[in-house]
Amino acid sequence: MNGLRNLVDRPWARWALGAVIAIILLVLPLSATEFTNQTITRIAVFAVAVLGLNIVMGYTGQVSLGHIFFVGVGAYCAIIPIRALWGGSIAEGAIVIGFALAIIIPGIVGLIVALAAVRLRGLALAMITIALPIIGVPIAKRFSDITGGNEGVSVRRLDYVASDGQTYKGNPFSAPAWSGLADDQWQYYLVMIIAAALFGLAFFLVRGKYGRAFAIVKANESVAASMGISPYRYKVLAFTIASMYGGAAGFLYIVALQYTSSETLSFGHSIELVIATIVGGAGSIVGSILGGAVYVLVPQITNAISPESTTVVQGIVILLVLFLLPGGLASLPRVLARRFRRARGGHNVDSSNSTEPAIENTENTKH
Amino acid sequence: MITTATGRRMLAFAASAGVVALAITGCGRAEPPAGGNGGGNGGGAAEASPGITDDTLTLGITTPLTGATAGPGNCTADGAIAYFGVRNAEGGIEFGDGKTRTIEIKTYDDEYNPEKSVTNFQQMVSDEVFAGALGLGTPTNRAWRDAAAEEGFPQVLVMTGDPVFSSREDGYLDLGLVPSYQQEGGAFGEALVADGQPHKVAVLFQNDDYGKGYTQGFKDAIEGSDDIEIVKELSYEPTASSLEGQITELQATGADVLFHAVSVTPLAIADLQKVAALGWKPILFLPSNTASPGGILTPAGVTADTFTGVYAAGFAQAAAAPPFAESEAGKAYFAAIEQYVTGHEQDGKAFPHCVWSWTGAQILEEAFKNMEEPTRESFYEALTSISGLETDFTFGPIDTTVEGSPAVQVVELQKFNGNGYANVQVVG
Repeated sequence: MNGLRNLVDRPWARWALGAVIAIILLVLPLSATEFTNQTITRIAVFAVAVLGLNIVMGYTGQVSLGHIFFVGVGAYCAIIPIRALWGGSIAEGAIVIGFALAIIIPGIVGLIVALAAVRLRGLALAMITIALPIIGVPIAKRFSDITGGNEGVSVRRLDYVASDGQTYKGNPFSAPAWSGLADDQWQYYLVMIIAAALFGLAFFLVRGKYGRAFAIVKANESVAASMGISPYRYKVLAFTIASMYGGAAGFLYIVALQYTSSETLSFGHSIELVIATIVGGAGSIVGSILGGAVYVLVPQITNAISPESTTVVQGIVILLVLFLLPGGLASLPRVLARRFRRARGGHNVDSSNSTEPAIENTENTKH
Repeated sequence: MITTATGRRMLAFAASAGVVALAITGCGRAEPPAGGNGGGNGGGAAEASPGITDDTLTLGITTPLTGATAGPGNCTADGAIAYFGVRNAEGGIEFGDGKTRTIEIKTYDDEYNPEKSVTNFQQMVSDEVFAGALGLGTPTNRAWRDAAAEEGFPQVLVMTGDPVFSSREDGYLDLGLVPSYQQEGGAFGEALVADGQPHKVAVLFQNDDYGKGYTQGFKDAIEGSDDIEIVKELSYEPTASSLEGQITELQATGADVLFHAVSVTPLAIADLQKVAALGWKPILFLPSNTASPGGILTPAGVTADTFTGVYAAGFAQAAAAPPFAESEAGKAYFAAIEQYVTGHEQDGKAFPHCVWSWTGAQILEEAFKNMEEPTRESFYEALTSISGLETDFTFGPIDTTVEGSPAVQVVELQKFNGNGYANVQVVG
């Protein structure tokens, strides 16, 4: 155990392990089944959504129950321009425009909402954020000419004019011929690259200056203010960034599913995202990935075993995690290590091992 | 110390990612060997589609099995499970290619969430399901319609009144089961016009394709009639928790007809109670999925005299009505539900969808009997060539050959008589 720990503490070993995992994720889709690739793609989509929620909830400590609203708006912002423009003169440019809008518009909406909402705290803020999906669904239905309302809109089978002048049906997210990939592999790489970039940005965000400010705001707003950190400003910032991550997840949702409807915005899914965040591990990057995995895999596994018990199984998972791993699945290695040490009579305890998940962020402020 | 902590977190990050990736790889199934789909000894016949072998056919049903729509959702699977349970026990169904196959049903829970139904579609393809059938819900079925077309996967006898599934669009192997919302709304409109009396109509509709479809069908039917006036139209969102405000406002218009295009069961019950509590006695129109005596009217305390008249458009007998249970077909139906539906409480009569699902299974059986090759194309061809098929519980024969129409087309207007519904031609 000690030998392993020493090995693990060496930088080259960590980089090597990271490289191995990156290579596995790169090579995996080439040999895995279509459904495996589609599943991992969806996990990445919801991991990004959960990551956004984690920035505002896990790292800054502000409850947001309306995160799905930004995912849904992002999905619409992506799918509407792609439907309108793809196959025209700008071709693939439509996807780039969709991606940009899916981040910018939810960001702006999030900023406007945050400017007003984060003046409230705790439950009051939570109540305000509930309003987002509740008004989002009727608004999406009201503008059913562009949103497709309850019936939704799809980007599969769009018309495009090929070089021979004929009109064909095509899918903007099918693999281009030069790539030599199948559609599911192409979508996997597209989603993975964007998700990896977003996770990289979040990693540095929460460990840098802003991350420390978020942590202090979460821990104690008065202390933050006394240190010259405006809680209001940083809460608005966190909320806005979370909205942009939600919007980006909405774009990825379109890449993975190529369909959205007003049902995507509904409040229940927002709660499922919050649950995924808590089960995965609030305030943890790894927890976001695990949260995305839980969100996608639990219904998929219950479908294979007993499709009528999806909700029951979800409930059991939540309760088990809350009772046994209050820090979420991401805290499992730490909890196991602590158990292991306790079983050995408390030898070999060095101070860095006693880091509790709850103060993971605040420790960064000791720099 | 900080370096170590950060490092350990990075390590944990990498390790978890790896574990998840490996776990999923482990779950992944091997690709089916090319051409190894069972039909190998067919000798010159077309290569079998996935999901069909010489002795079984796998049918997938993605529908809401949990959540707010779970009641009707489970029913959409249960009717077929019961019907094919009986057929399988008899040894199977003889297909058009001469082979006898049993029907295996795989159910998938979509929680009325379009994203989950797309996932379920992908899972069905991965599980080598032959065709998807009988699923409930407009957005959930719409979500994978184009994906199914890309895959050449049949999405048939869907339980939504959305007409797009019956449009016979090129490249889609899809077909609706139940009459469109417009047809039902229209049936009531025509009967109201036939009454010849002046009527003032208050309309309450769900703000989606469902409510709008009913209302549109009704409006088209009363168009040009001077006697009938729509005095007020109000809408609501399916997520609403109470429609009391709307009911009160509609009652205040003095209308004598309430067109109630509400699909949410608890809301429909509460509405009827509110209408009665206000002392309002309108002629009431209910859509087929929220008109069941056992599921809606009895819980709401409605008797034959509560309102001037309770009408519903229907296309199949109600399992809750006493004559149903006394008929031969009805007895067989209840016995099959009792025997083959397991895992949750189901009496087969709380929601009409169980009977509809049974009907869908009968239509599927007819298609299976006529499909000459073990392929999806041949199945779809057979399914859309049925005419004059008599089923146990529908009011008219099944005809799937009419372009733009779902499998069940004969809609009758029915009046509630205290126990069940009886067919009528005219309102009043």
